[in-house]
Amino acid sequence: MIGPLFPELLAAAQHGDEESFAVLWRDLQPAVLRYFQVVTGEAAEDLAADSWVSVIRGLGRFRGDERAFRAWVFTVARHRAVDWRRQAARRPTSSVPVEQLADRPASDDPVAAVLEAQSTRAALALLAELPPDQAEVVALRVLGGLEVAEVARIVGKRPNAVRVLAHRGLRRLARRVEAAGLARGVTR
Amino acid sequence: MSDDDALGVDMHRPLGFLEPAPPAADQDLLERLLEGRLEPASAPPGYGGLARLLATATAPAAPEELAGGQMVMATFAAVMRSHPPILSPRRSAVSSKVFTMKAAAAALVAVLSIGGIAAAATGLLPGQASPVADQASASTGADAAAHGLGEAAVANLGGTAQAGSTGGQGRESAVGPDATGAAQAGLCRAWQAGQGADHGQRADSVAFQALVDAAGGADKVAAYCENVTAANSAGAHGQSQGSPPSGSAPPTSVSPPSSGPPADPGPPASTGAGGHGQGGPPTTTG
Repeated sequence: MIGPLFPELLAAAQHGDEESFAVLWRDLQPAVLRYFQVVTGEAAEDLAADSWVSVIRGLGRFRGDERAFRAWVFTVARHRAVDWRRQAARRPTSSVPVEQLADRPASDDPVAAVLEAQSTRAALALLAELPPDQAEVVALRVLGGLEVAEVARIVGKRPNAVRVLAHRGLRRLARRVEAAGLARGVTR
Repeated sequence: MSDDDALGVDMHRPLGFLEPAPPAADQDLLERLLEGRLEPASAPPGYGGLARLLATATAPAAPEELAGGQMVMATFAAVMRSHPPILSPRRSAVSSKVFTMKAAAAALVAVLSIGGIAAAATGLLPGQASPVADQASASTGADAAAHGLGEAAVANLGGTAQAGSTGGQGRESAVGPDATGAAQAGLCRAWQAGQGADHGQRADSVAFQALVDAAGGADKVAAYCENVTAANSAGAHGQSQGSPPSGSAPPTSVSPPSSGPPADPGPPASTGAGGHGQGGPPTTTG
């Protein structure tokens, strides 16, 4: 989050100020990219870049505070993700095994990769193992920093459904992590 | 959705293979995890690993995650040039510090060019005339200055934007004004403007981390920014002064593995104002 300076940066960016836009981009790009890594996998970088093009085109017409801006950027991102999935359904799948995404090859278990090597990519890959609707909601809440109501608007579900999906996703992840931890004796 | 979840929230599977069911977490705990308000160290048994997992997922940006910056900034410049932003009637209360700086610059120019004549004609000292002039040019000048600088920046970038959008491989060779340099100045302004407020949080934020890195440490940001902004305001269109050489570090080899069209989002400047599909209309949420 940028905080109190956001309105100024946004206004300047809307007037074409490149530096100000760069600040907005740097603040949100990692979250956007990681969202795509969870919900779409390998196409993440391209989709993030596409999303920013849309954001740039719509920037002048955006009105709202920083929360609303985040929510809008993720709304745009989700459109991209939905389009991509639609197309992906017609493509042969070639999913990369989670194990290969760990930054360090030392681990045979992605959970261990996360906990030991603190690999963000491996952590995202674990989130991506959730059922898609849970993964998406957890990603928007955790990575996007969005609230229940905002996520509900973005994914077109009721707030309560969003809450339940997120909680289920977390419980499932907790089980996954603890099980792996117990198996390896590294739990605490 | 799937098997075990369908059983219901608190019903544990009788025979999960090796899966010890964590204690039924209360909603509040889960919400704190979702909002990143739970330190892994203080997580209850059964959730420590998850807390660490989520903390890792939200770790500060790695350099390669910001590798696409130049391309995005080139797109920004190109789009802003070809479709100058259509803004609704100017909000009166944009008492922006960013603008204030620009207004100050505009006012200075105005004073320099008009001041002499005015003083010569009326005998007024520029100093006496300035409060009024200030007000006037601050309000009218803010816009002009903002537009002016914006255009200048865009003009500066013209070359890069083209280089960037002609082909995917231009991605790395198109250097030009360099997003890190520009971003640095913007960050510095932001940092300076917010100084005295909540820095702790500030220094932690992803956006400012880059600044700390560039400065070589959190305690050096102030001095670093002084240089950047001094250089910026000294040479009217400062940002062309080139970026700190340290910054241009990682042209990493993050090229997307997927094939398809080059990573380049295509010529954003093409034509269509109508070209952005359903991504378009910004939500006007409250």
